[in-house]
Amino acid sequence: MPGRLWIYAVFLLSGFAALLYQVVWQRALYTIYGINIESVTMVVTAFMLGLGVGSLAGGIVSKDAKRPVLLYFSLVELGIGLFGLVSLSVFHAVGNVTLGMSAVPTFIVTFLLVLVPTMLMGSTLPLLVAHLVRENKNVGKSVGTLYFVNTLGSAFASAASVLFILGKAGQSGSIRIAALLNITVSLLAYVAHRRAMRPGEVARTLAAAMTTDENAGDGGARDGTAASAEQPKAMESV
Amino acid sequence: MGFAVALAVAAVAGFIALSYEILWYRVISYASWGLPGAFGLLLAAYLFGLAIGSRIAGAFCKDKTQAGDTKQLRALAVFTFVANLVAWLVVPAFGLSAKKYDWPPALAAVAVAAALLGAILPLVAHFGIKPDEKAGANLSYIYLSNIIGSAAGSLVTGFVFLDQWSLPTIGAVIACIGMVLVAALLFLAELPSTGRLASLASLALVSVLLLKATPAVYDRIWERLLYKRNFDETSTRFLDIVETKSGVITVTQDGTVYGGGAYDGRVSTSIQHDRNGIFRAHALAAMHPSPKRVLMIGLATGAWAQIVAHLPHVEKLTVVEINPGYLTLISKYDQVKSLLSNPKVEIVVDDGRRWLNRHTDQKFDAVVMNTTWNWRGHSTNLLSVEFLELVRSRLLPGGMMYFNTTSSDDVKKTAATVFPHALRVYNFMAVSDSPFSFDKERWRTTLTTMTIDGEPIIEDSADGKAFLDELVSYADSVNGPPRDDGIEKRESVLARVDAAGAKIITDDNMVTEWRQVLRFQEPP
Repeated sequence: MPGRLWIYAVFLLSGFAALLYQVVWQRALYTIYGINIESVTMVVTAFMLGLGVGSLAGGIVSKDAKRPVLLYFSLVELGIGLFGLVSLSVFHAVGNVTLGMSAVPTFIVTFLLVLVPTMLMGSTLPLLVAHLVRENKNVGKSVGTLYFVNTLGSAFASAASVLFILGKAGQSGSIRIAALLNITVSLLAYVAHRRAMRPGEVARTLAAAMTTDENAGDGGARDGTAASAEQPKAMESV
Repeated sequence: MGFAVALAVAAVAGFIALSYEILWYRVISYASWGLPGAFGLLLAAYLFGLAIGSRIAGAFCKDKTQAGDTKQLRALAVFTFVANLVAWLVVPAFGLSAKKYDWPPALAAVAVAAALLGAILPLVAHFGIKPDEKAGANLSYIYLSNIIGSAAGSLVTGFVFLDQWSLPTIGAVIACIGMVLVAALLFLAELPSTGRLASLASLALVSVLLLKATPAVYDRIWERLLYKRNFDETSTRFLDIVETKSGVITVTQDGTVYGGGAYDGRVSTSIQHDRNGIFRAHALAAMHPSPKRVLMIGLATGAWAQIVAHLPHVEKLTVVEINPGYLTLISKYDQVKSLLSNPKVEIVVDDGRRWLNRHTDQKFDAVVMNTTWNWRGHSTNLLSVEFLELVRSRLLPGGMMYFNTTSSDDVKKTAATVFPHALRVYNFMAVSDSPFSFDKERWRTTLTTMTIDGEPIIEDSADGKAFLDELVSYADSVNGPPRDDGIEKRESVLARVDAAGAKIITDDNMVTEWRQVLRFQEPP
């Protein structure tokens, strides 16, 4: 089981990157679709719905206790980072094609544009909550702490984006920073996943070794059974 | 707390939190003149508060057996009540802060209110979700419910409330919605019937007091935010306040208009008693021989549109304005209200850049923008290379773009770099793909023959004659050494702005918005 601090640090970085994307994507979309209240509301609502749908998806995935939620989290972060790298080009290309559309189709296109990344972002909290609750059995504490670190990361990003990042790096540079963070988070989460898996792998190796020994003679058969019994516990804690 | 109750509470809490955020966004936008850094710091304070709130909430969630326990509703009701009350006080806190320290200290109030509002979601999750294998999934439903409530808050408050009611009324309405949530929690909580009745009666009393107190607590909030340390109870009352979903427009007692808190000109079309540099609008006629079709992006007080609509040769003036509130304002002022019935003038409510993008078939002899301050949020959209290229593609042969640089070297450099021909006229840039000049004779003819609603623009008197001679001689300023209020050729402009370290503005770098993150304007 990776340390909780590790998880919190990873989720803080994830929140930082998410807000950086949000700031830049909203600006890019306002440039395309306008900064009148209708466009602003449309973009904000699309973001929220995407996060909500993503949260549902994350919740559904996390239902099965056998699923490696940390690995899923790692893949989700990788997905956000990869989308981030091409996001501005995608927005501009789609924006140019859809500019003449009326309000409803424009909303649908905007929603679809931000659906993939915001869904991925929205899924991260339930995945990590499921991971922590499996360990500590305390929902409020898990939600509160994860929400805390993730939102704190976003708060830092919001301040940093206006004080330093946007002015120095512009939109595309900010997006590259966010994508780099996502990929880092993905790697860290993958390492955490591997660390959590290790007891199970050790157990399997030991079990295999004991089976060989058992075939060779009686010694160690009891140890082999004990090691195999550890495996489900290790899997459960993934 | 049952799971269904948890879902409902999460939704209403989201609605309230986002509605307040929209109000605070509007207030800081007005107080900071639309400074992009202020928006970012508001969001940072809000998120920081949410983060702290969720952390504090964790301290209330020590035991593992509270899910489904209706006793917890009492605690949640008290918590929601305090959160709502504090959030209601944030707007007045901005008013208080403005008097002495401008808007930054009020961010602390935003953070505290957001902390209290933000603690509700984890508390609801803890009291409503059992700590089993389905915790992640159940949390996702509560999170989704909260997001749906937030989206509804954004839509209802942003679209309906802001368009129908003033800021104090909306503050009172949101607070009352919060009190209804508290009442529902108390109603569902395990309380003795007398206790429940007493709690609900007390809550009703507080709600009535809150409604009654709102006009006094929110009194003259816009004046406080604009005049800041110069605010006083008698002399700074606005003549007019127009609040719509698109923004807040206020008019001071001397007729100065502030759109979203930023100076937006004066309702004045007199060139002889020029209080708003209106001669710059007339100057278009000196630079373009026949501007028949003109596009104006931004209407504001209508003074510029009124002049351009009456320039010689103008047959059609299309005005694109993002805030319909200006139409309401213009209809109240004699100097400009004829714009609304002038058959030559078409006014469209839209985002200027989007309108240009969507009307590829429309071309113009001149595109005019008395642009807002170059450092305001989203000003890049009307100043970048990409936008200037878009305008260029909508110009007829010999067409010209003429727009306010608000004295930004970056804007001047961008304009003079994108177009091969350029002149600076005071703080405006006139740019074109075709050669042009500031023609002195055309300038004189315009000034002597032009009328507005049948009235000559310069009086037929000795004073008028002297004024005319002086104004006509302005055309000669292009030949002298460059001065800030004169006319300057492209090469000279470029040499000076390059020496000053100006940069070309792009959609990506947003230079003017981030050159100085924090700036505080002198109050009127």
